[in-house]
Amino acid sequence: MKIPQDGRQEDPRLTTYALGELEAVEAAVVEAELAASEDGAREVAAIRAVARELEEALAETPAEGLSTAQKMAILGNDQEQRRRDPAQSSRRPWRGVMKVSSLAAALTITTLSAMWVTESGPFRDTGVSPFMYEVGGGSSWSWFASEETRSPDPSVREELQGLGYLGDSESSSLRALGYMDGVSVIDLNGFGAGTGSADPLAPVRQPTPGLGEEGRPDTEAYDSIRENEFRSVAQHPLSTFSIDVDTASYANVRRFLSEDRLPPADAVRIEELLNYFRYDYRPPTGGDPFSIDVEVASAPWKPEHRLVRIGLQGMEIPVADRRPSNLVFLLDVSGSMDSPMKLPLVKKGMRLLIDQLDGRDNVAIVVYAGAAGMVLPSTTCANRPAILGALELLSAGGSTNGGQGIQLAYRTARAGFIEGGINRVILCTDGDFNVGTSSEGELVRMIEEEARSGVFLSVLGFGSGNLKDSTMEKLADRGNGNYAYVDSLREARKVLVEEMGGTLITIAKDVKVQVEFNPAEVSSYRLIGYENRLLAAEDFNDDEVDAGEIGAGHSVTALYEVVPTGVASEVRDVDPLKYQDPSRAGAASGSGELLTVKLRYKEPDGDTSRLIEMPLVDAGIGFDAASDDFRFAAGVAGFGMLLRGSKHAGGATMREVHRWAREAIGPDSGGYRIEFLELVSRSSRLMPDELRDEFEALGYLDLENEE
Amino acid sequence: MSETRFIREALGRHERELVAYALRLTGDLDRARDVVQDTFLELCERPRAEVEPKLAAWLFTVCRNRALDALEKEGRMGPITDDRGTGSTGTDPARRLEEEDTSARILHELGELPEREREVLRLKFHNGFAYREIADITGLSVANVGYLMHCGLKTLRSRLAPLRRMEVGS
Repeated sequence: MKIPQDGRQEDPRLTTYALGELEAVEAAVVEAELAASEDGAREVAAIRAVARELEEALAETPAEGLSTAQKMAILGNDQEQRRRDPAQSSRRPWRGVMKVSSLAAALTITTLSAMWVTESGPFRDTGVSPFMYEVGGGSSWSWFASEETRSPDPSVREELQGLGYLGDSESSSLRALGYMDGVSVIDLNGFGAGTGSADPLAPVRQPTPGLGEEGRPDTEAYDSIRENEFRSVAQHPLSTFSIDVDTASYANVRRFLSEDRLPPADAVRIEELLNYFRYDYRPPTGGDPFSIDVEVASAPWKPEHRLVRIGLQGMEIPVADRRPSNLVFLLDVSGSMDSPMKLPLVKKGMRLLIDQLDGRDNVAIVVYAGAAGMVLPSTTCANRPAILGALELLSAGGSTNGGQGIQLAYRTARAGFIEGGINRVILCTDGDFNVGTSSEGELVRMIEEEARSGVFLSVLGFGSGNLKDSTMEKLADRGNGNYAYVDSLREARKVLVEEMGGTLITIAKDVKVQVEFNPAEVSSYRLIGYENRLLAAEDFNDDEVDAGEIGAGHSVTALYEVVPTGVASEVRDVDPLKYQDPSRAGAASGSGELLTVKLRYKEPDGDTSRLIEMPLVDAGIGFDAASDDFRFAAGVAGFGMLLRGSKHAGGATMREVHRWAREAIGPDSGGYRIEFLELVSRSSRLMPDELRDEFEALGYLDLENEE
Repeated sequence: MSETRFIREALGRHERELVAYALRLTGDLDRARDVVQDTFLELCERPRAEVEPKLAAWLFTVCRNRALDALEKEGRMGPITDDRGTGSTGTDPARRLEEEDTSARILHELGELPEREREVLRLKFHNGFAYREIADITGLSVANVGYLMHCGLKTLRSRLAPLRRMEVGS
């Protein structure tokens, strides 16, 4: 082929070549031509550039899916199919359902009642007479409950909860179900609603704990969270926890809701929801790397309780003052990453990050699949094309030997260590490590070991269906790191561009919070969230005990629900003590102070901690008089409690949560709070109880009988 | 992997992009959803071994045929599509501005292209199909796909270029 000087744009082969669609032989010819033609090479680059822009623009266009009823129809049909004579296969028993308008259909499916059911645990007689049926070809399990469970009685839910079927599940807890014609279908297969064949199907065996992979909805893994209870101040005057700046749970919850599914309770970590948002806390002054901003007002879900907000605000570091960085991208390129929302998004995210870097910075790329390998040795960001080129060439395939990759990445980071600079491994993965050092415990130990070298870690989680949330959270926790879940290019931009300082620059490490409550003012308290960050009181002063890091510009928010003395306490009673007198008050108990917040932190490269203390007096203001940030955070906490099915949610409903947050939007830079409102609305449509109210109001209750 | 799981995964993976595709072909969300539902129902009836190796292309082919059937039945000639103004998903004003610079503009220009070019460009850059697969889906020849792709990209570049220059100049 001759590359014409003027009319070159007329030859489609150059486009075909640029897009990698030309046959090998022809491609070789074109390459030879290009080597001699600068114009040609420029042309190829231009074609690729516009192709990439187009790809990115299209990737961000929103897409509607099918309605839930339609999905059920397809899955129901699929199960029908295999039980039927092939000759009849053109029959489509579910066509009727789909004609329901999407709103009405969605209401029909999730109405009447709903239960959260876990796959683990033996199925005991709960008084709701559940029957097991096998649907279709043998590996898809659905649980049908009989008529008696039809009434959406909260007591049934509580009962199940008490028996361990709801809430705190061992592994991924499954929820989602629909009620059709008195037959409830609890789908274990992960769709927002059950597979809904009302056909009487043959009852079969009970679920066994060893139910294979096939019977499971997907293979996402979440650690169970046991919600913090109210604790009596007399018994436990101190509450201690490690800060957490992770935001992954919020993005993950958003992903579930965008698919019209409620997230499993264990995927909802309230502290990560709270910390997803920016709050306008007082910036630090003086020598401390962060400030403490404490506020108290009444708890909106239980007005007789007080809600205490502890906010930490990390100092901002202007880009120009940033120290040089030594980054190692550790990218999972195993087969499981081969999906548009995984490796391609990883590449785009890393490109965004590289765009922020300059000649001060070095980047190395290590990948792992079946084996780990160095794709790009540490390279200065002045040489951007080399880095982008290496990134571009990556493709996914093979198994996942994460352990080897981690070792190589840390070795690389140590070799290029910049004293006083930013030394960080950035791990991008779906968290599925299945070869080599495969046990989670071993990986965590390895990371803990490596973190001692002074190299920090950022874990970016990608993809769905196979997300090993629990592993990734632990790696970040133990590896002096932070964990974010990236479900879109927009989220990548938030984590890697808008909050780059927070993600990359650690301003303080091992940050611990200890609150001492004044028994003269407070009878009991409850820390909302931070369940997996709790520390023993003694850990607070022990500098050997690891805790969370705070990044530049990060803010951290923690909420305590406090029961003032004189208000009925929610603490389970213990006998009065025989030998001590907890009523004997300390010297400062008459000060009127509600509590004192104490903080310990270390400089990023320091070994000894510093202490900050701040007492809080309750001025007794009502919820409506609190700051926007306070009310918004209360809304986020309420949202989290409702999604978790918390028994402490009091008078909170999604509608109330929406109102609290809506009236506290503030300037909302970035539009994240508005987006939160959308998630609340969406959840309220998916929440069975709230749905029922709405349903009754609309007079839809008999709809499915008419169908 | 069980059959049901196969269908479910196919749904999970392709549902949205198929609805988007059918929506562009039919111009109506409800109709698009019906078309996609029919496509998946047909998938349930096919032996899995037959469709699995080239599942995505198969789904798009069936979806396209059904969409065109539906249009024909209604006596409408061609698909109605509008790619304009759908680029912005977020509420972030800063991001919206930025998108207006790139994404929204390129989508706008995409919407201005002749229908066939627009379709092959989308199949390639949105859905990630190779020329061969696009040829199968649309019933065009591979060479024809290459030509349409080339023309489409060329037009996009030429329309975006003057704006770019203005930016640099200002």
